[in-house]
Amino acid sequence: MLKQIWRGRSGYLFILPKFALFIVFVFIPILWSFLVSFQEYRVFDTVWVGLDNFRDAFSDDIFWMAVQNTLRYAVVVMPSTVIIALILASLINPLRRSAQTFFRAAFYLPTVASTVVLSMVWRWIFQTRFGLANYFLASLGLEPINWLHSSEWAMRSVITMAVLTPPGMGVILYLAAMSSIPDSLYEAATIDGANRLVQWWRITLPLLKPTTLYLMIVSTIGSFQVFDQVMLMTQGGPGYATTTIVHRIYQTAFRDFQFGYAGAMSMLLFFAIIVLALIQSRLVTSDVEYKG
Amino acid sequence: MKRLVGGIIIVLLLVAFTGFSLADWKGTITIWDAPRWPDENDDKFHWIKGKIAEFEELNPGVKIELIETPWAELGDKLSIAIAGRAWPDLVPVDISGAINKGHLDQGVVEPLDDFFTAEELADFVPGALAAYSYNDKLWGIPTSMSVHVMLLNLDHFEAAGVEPPKDGKWTWDEFVETAKALTREGNYGFTTYILKGYYEAWPFFYMDGGRPIVDGKFAFDSPEAISAIQKLVDLKFVHGAAPIEMGSADVGGAFQALAREGQRHVAMGPWNSWAIATVSTEGVNYLPNVMVAEYPVGDSGKPVTIGGAGGWVIMKQPNKEKLAKVVEFAKFLSTAEEQYKFARFYGTFPSRFSTMEMDPFADQPLMKRAMEMLEFAEAVPDHPNWAQIDERIQAELQLIFAGEKTVEQGMQDAARAVERLLR
Repeated sequence: MLKQIWRGRSGYLFILPKFALFIVFVFIPILWSFLVSFQEYRVFDTVWVGLDNFRDAFSDDIFWMAVQNTLRYAVVVMPSTVIIALILASLINPLRRSAQTFFRAAFYLPTVASTVVLSMVWRWIFQTRFGLANYFLASLGLEPINWLHSSEWAMRSVITMAVLTPPGMGVILYLAAMSSIPDSLYEAATIDGANRLVQWWRITLPLLKPTTLYLMIVSTIGSFQVFDQVMLMTQGGPGYATTTIVHRIYQTAFRDFQFGYAGAMSMLLFFAIIVLALIQSRLVTSDVEYKG
Repeated sequence: MKRLVGGIIIVLLLVAFTGFSLADWKGTITIWDAPRWPDENDDKFHWIKGKIAEFEELNPGVKIELIETPWAELGDKLSIAIAGRAWPDLVPVDISGAINKGHLDQGVVEPLDDFFTAEELADFVPGALAAYSYNDKLWGIPTSMSVHVMLLNLDHFEAAGVEPPKDGKWTWDEFVETAKALTREGNYGFTTYILKGYYEAWPFFYMDGGRPIVDGKFAFDSPEAISAIQKLVDLKFVHGAAPIEMGSADVGGAFQALAREGQRHVAMGPWNSWAIATVSTEGVNYLPNVMVAEYPVGDSGKPVTIGGAGGWVIMKQPNKEKLAKVVEFAKFLSTAEEQYKFARFYGTFPSRFSTMEMDPFADQPLMKRAMEMLEFAEAVPDHPNWAQIDERIQAELQLIFAGEKTVEQGMQDAARAVERLLR
């Protein structure tokens, strides 16, 4: 074992900085959060409370509302993000290289832009009196909608923002995956008389499965961790109509100072995401082949 | 033994001749502050920077490190710092605030009773001191006060041919009639917002005598509170004198609706008194024709309002000599002269009688009128779980004002949740 490590030392040295950062900024906080979830954490006199924080979570009506809201968000946003990325990449892929570069950059731009900036723009779009959305409705002779301030519309508005923000990362990954599909497969299909749509359905889509799986998992994790849009656009309201799990964790920890309870909710979210990722992995990878 | 005695004598001589003492602490004090009023270079931290330079000059060997923080981020940032046990030495509380009971509960705030004489404390307005007192101890230095007032854009009144309230005093019925008369040609008489931690709308809920907590029990489901909330709800849904977004969480939208150039479609709104300085200063929010009025009087017979007190809080110090120096610095920032500057330029009311005697609002009639309303100001309830209680109540109020729950239903739901938090 040690010999093996020594032989591959240059490789290990390359990953060492990233690994050290991962340990300090990801692994230790997760471990600390796990330990805190069994405590009533206080600055000076922390008390071990066993599973009390988990019991509190299961009996907390706001936590369950947050779970429902998060699921509602994830169920729409996760597939939409993946499908939109797939459609955009499929439309960009046949274009000339210069056009491809332009669209890659254009669709990746929102990924680089801060969610804060995007949320501010969308808040303006959904502004009741002067917003673009109600201006559009008014031009059609329709009544204005209280987009961000009614329970019926607030979560739909947050979801709309997420769905309509181009999934730049997905587009880039799909384009990379599409470019690695051998041309010979398409040539053979063309000889066999398959049109473009059939080729996409029979060749492109199946060979993109590993990328699709990766994007589904990443998108699910992102959807379950939705926070900044909610914080900036609705602050979890009206009532608790847009309160999500991470928003609730944040409020519980940093406003209410209940770090133990927040830690318990974080652990529940952590394990829920792991379970979902495993299920997705099982469902999608049954016939995926990875080349070594 | 002779050596020991000799050593002690040398130390005592050193102390006597060099002025060195244990209390003469040297080192770095970290202070957080948020934007105040701008100077000619638009620097909103010029006041604190100037005070730091003065204090450092008076105290050689003491360095003050300033961390500039926006007001909106200050609360969360401080909580994170406390969680990480890396708090600053001195932090400000915004003008609508009071001491944070959650921080007291964590034991991270220093009590200050030992640093103030009875004579010094007598110079502070009792209400301001009350905002920084808990369990018979003083936990901060109040430097300013604020109160919620009604701001009236008189341009709308003139355009609609409506008389503003005489001396800014009115009953609820007069207020409703005024709001209705001002609602015309796409404009509305009134708007406000409902959001955790903000209390602009709450004096309306108090006007018939209702209060959120009475004798340690939830009381916003009392007939007095329900009738008052219903009156404000009716202003929107029955009288049509408020826009669809009234009662939502859109703070910026509500202010723009009153004051923003090109968007002024609401004639009246309740705001913290800081807004007086904003609408009185040249810029996009300058209202040339504005009036300050009291909240309308309901069945309680008084124009009740809600007030707060800004100030400085000293965080837990393991080193008692440093604590003394931090207190000295906090006092240096809170003198009557400094409060006078705050009153003149920052739009706050002084928390010291000696500053009031300087008459800082001699040429500011709007502020002077608003200061009179301090007489009817109440603080938000004093409970360690207030942040959570407030969240529950405001969440229900949002749904009530969105027309999704009746007042009774909303307050009954709030009662169930709040009772648990009060226990």
